[in-house]
Amino acid sequence: MQTQGSSARALPHSDHGTPLRATVIWVVLIAATIVTWSVGESGATGPAIVGLLFSIAFGKGALIILDYMALRRAPLMWPMLALGWMTLVCALIGIAYWKGLAA
Amino acid sequence: MKYSSQSVAMPYFIAAIGLFVGQIIFGLAMGLQYVVGDFLFPEIPFNVARMVHTNLLIVWLLFGFMGATYFLIPEEAETELYSPKLALLMFWIFLIAGAATILGYLLVPYSTLAEMTGNNILATMGREFLEQPLITKIGIVIVALAFLFNITMTMLKGRKTVISIVLLMGLWGLAIFFLFSFYNPGNLVKDKFYWWWVVHLWVEGVWELIMAAILAFVLIKVTGVDREVIEKWLYVIITLALVTGLIGTGHHYFWIGTPSYWQWLGSIFSALEPIPFFAMTVFAFNMVNRRRREHPNKAAVLWALGTGVMAFLGAGVWGFLHTLAPVNYYTHGSQITAAHGHMAFYGAYVLVVLTIISYAMPLLRGRAANGERAQVCEMWAFWLMTISMVFITLFLTAAGILQVWLQRVSDTPMPFMAVQDQISLFYWMRLWAGVVFAAGLVTYLASFFVKGDSKPLIHA
Amino acid sequence: MNTCAQTLVSPPALPAVASDSPARRLPGDLAIWFFILAELLAFGAFFIAYAFARANNVELFNEQQLALDRNAGALNTILLLTSSYFVVRAVQAAEAGQGRRAATWIAGGFACGAGFIVVKLFEYTAKFAAGVSLSSSTFHMFYLVLTFFHFMHVILGLVILAALWNGARKGRYSPGNMNGIETGAAYWHMVDLVWLILFPLVYVMR
Repeated sequence: MQTQGSSARALPHSDHGTPLRATVIWVVLIAATIVTWSVGESGATGPAIVGLLFSIAFGKGALIILDYMALRRAPLMWPMLALGWMTLVCALIGIAYWKGLAA
Repeated sequence: MKYSSQSVAMPYFIAAIGLFVGQIIFGLAMGLQYVVGDFLFPEIPFNVARMVHTNLLIVWLLFGFMGATYFLIPEEAETELYSPKLALLMFWIFLIAGAATILGYLLVPYSTLAEMTGNNILATMGREFLEQPLITKIGIVIVALAFLFNITMTMLKGRKTVISIVLLMGLWGLAIFFLFSFYNPGNLVKDKFYWWWVVHLWVEGVWELIMAAILAFVLIKVTGVDREVIEKWLYVIITLALVTGLIGTGHHYFWIGTPSYWQWLGSIFSALEPIPFFAMTVFAFNMVNRRRREHPNKAAVLWALGTGVMAFLGAGVWGFLHTLAPVNYYTHGSQITAAHGHMAFYGAYVLVVLTIISYAMPLLRGRAANGERAQVCEMWAFWLMTISMVFITLFLTAAGILQVWLQRVSDTPMPFMAVQDQISLFYWMRLWAGVVFAAGLVTYLASFFVKGDSKPLIHA
Repeated sequence: MNTCAQTLVSPPALPAVASDSPARRLPGDLAIWFFILAELLAFGAFFIAYAFARANNVELFNEQQLALDRNAGALNTILLLTSSYFVVRAVQAAEAGQGRRAATWIAGGFACGAGFIVVKLFEYTAKFAAGVSLSSSTFHMFYLVLTFFHFMHVILGLVILAALWNGARKGRYSPGNMNGIETGAAYWHMVDLVWLILFPLVYVMR
């Protein structure tokens, strides 16, 4: 299977980004979580709110997938599969929610 | 063959093939009884033939697993077997006990057999697949313990590899879950609940570990791919098999009186059960594509690839077909179940045992691989049996769909026997496919006797 | 929803970083990625089953969801995200040749993961005391099964983090030997990733 990365990798290049970038992403993720939490506390409902919730979830997931999991520089198939999974799950949850409204 | 004690595998493999032949004979008889109801009546009624057919299958697969283990463990542990004598003794005990049990089924009425064998002391008989008399069950436990002792001792003194550890886990699991066959609560729901702990947790749990380990062993040998790579796959496959298979037991708890949350748990987890089988298919093809050598035993490679594909189709796809609770509500206990059972057992377990036999038998007979003609014969056997099994499955699936429709979905449902008449054409076609399967089996037997220039062993 | 995601995931600085990378490379071991995909499928199946079960029973789900402890859920999200962040820092430390320093970051990640377990146990205790069980309702069944399935993954992830911590302390990870730490980290991020959907789905969406 995949062996280790080349041992003579030039130092400036990084597969995992910089600490600063990781920290900025962390701040964004925490802020997004607080938004989700406050939506829950406000008791707000409706398609727009649910759309917002899962847009946030998708954005957070994409950050995890591309940056924390470091799939940004992986062969395209892998970020596509992971993001495709996110898209599919969020979309089906949306459809189910809509179905629940209609019922 | 690297260690002389590996040769104890030979009688196990021969017995396995012999019992396989018996299984197919009874299968054909039953196939005929489906359409000619009084065939062999009253000598061998359908229920007895069915019991013999399924029990022979289980027993010969167990022989195959044990033979595979005796062949595989010394080579993996790089040491001789702890006690070849014990292995041979257990072979004869298991064979005689097995034969006596089958004769008991055939010669005396089941209730008489139960009286003769102490079923009144501890009632364990009369349950599907676990029909064995109490003394046979105890015998199985003794043989299994002696076998596990022998194997574990061998491993303790030798090299411990991932393959042998996974195999041993599977075998211990097999023995431990069999103990539930002694637990027979009076409450019918509980009875069924724990009955599945033997039946399901064998074939969709611990047997998968055994199967994956055997397949991994053969793939290392015939492809020359790094052990490290194959072991990683093995880890992934067995984790997936256990995660999905253990809770997947829930797909048997839909309608037997267990709480309704099992319909969700069983549906979701068993819907995922094809994943480990799919991984196994990818694994087998991937390893063969990345092979570092051309192994002279082409037939063994074919069996190994066949295992990957047919296990996925039979266990994965045909299992998924009727595993979701809303679907199973209609299909439960129909011919669709029979279709799945046939292809899953053949694809996963029959083929994996034939794979290891195909790889090991020439070595046990002192050559790297059989001659060209013998191998061609063996490959013919593979295709005949596999294709006819595909047809058996397709005919039973068609019969099942029709049966479900006429008997359960339609606005004017027909009674069971009337439906059976309607679908008899499919039973006839299934029978003919079965005849082809038997021809494939005969070809397989013949391949052992085809003379020709066998490939000599090269000692590296 | 896509536009929102686009802006989040593609900061302008990105193309410059990507363009000087020599070749696309999957971090960690290929086997773990197959495993992660299978895990994502399993969780995905659960999420979708939950969503459609809810659609057939909106009132029950909405009512019983209100009884869930959203604060505990949000706290756990923050713990997991922070833990993931620490693990990223550990991987970056190893990549920068500071393999032993990675151990400290992993220990931080482990502590956050352990915090998740503690919060979850308090949450479960309260729920069980309130009579929530697998059989008490479809919502409770999903709540318990989904969160418990995830809970088990957190425990497995913690075992992996412990192994990474041990390896890092022994200086096993370096720019030339990233396979182990990348493999373990990828699994841990997956545990985080599924929770990011689980939380809004089960605790918030109504």
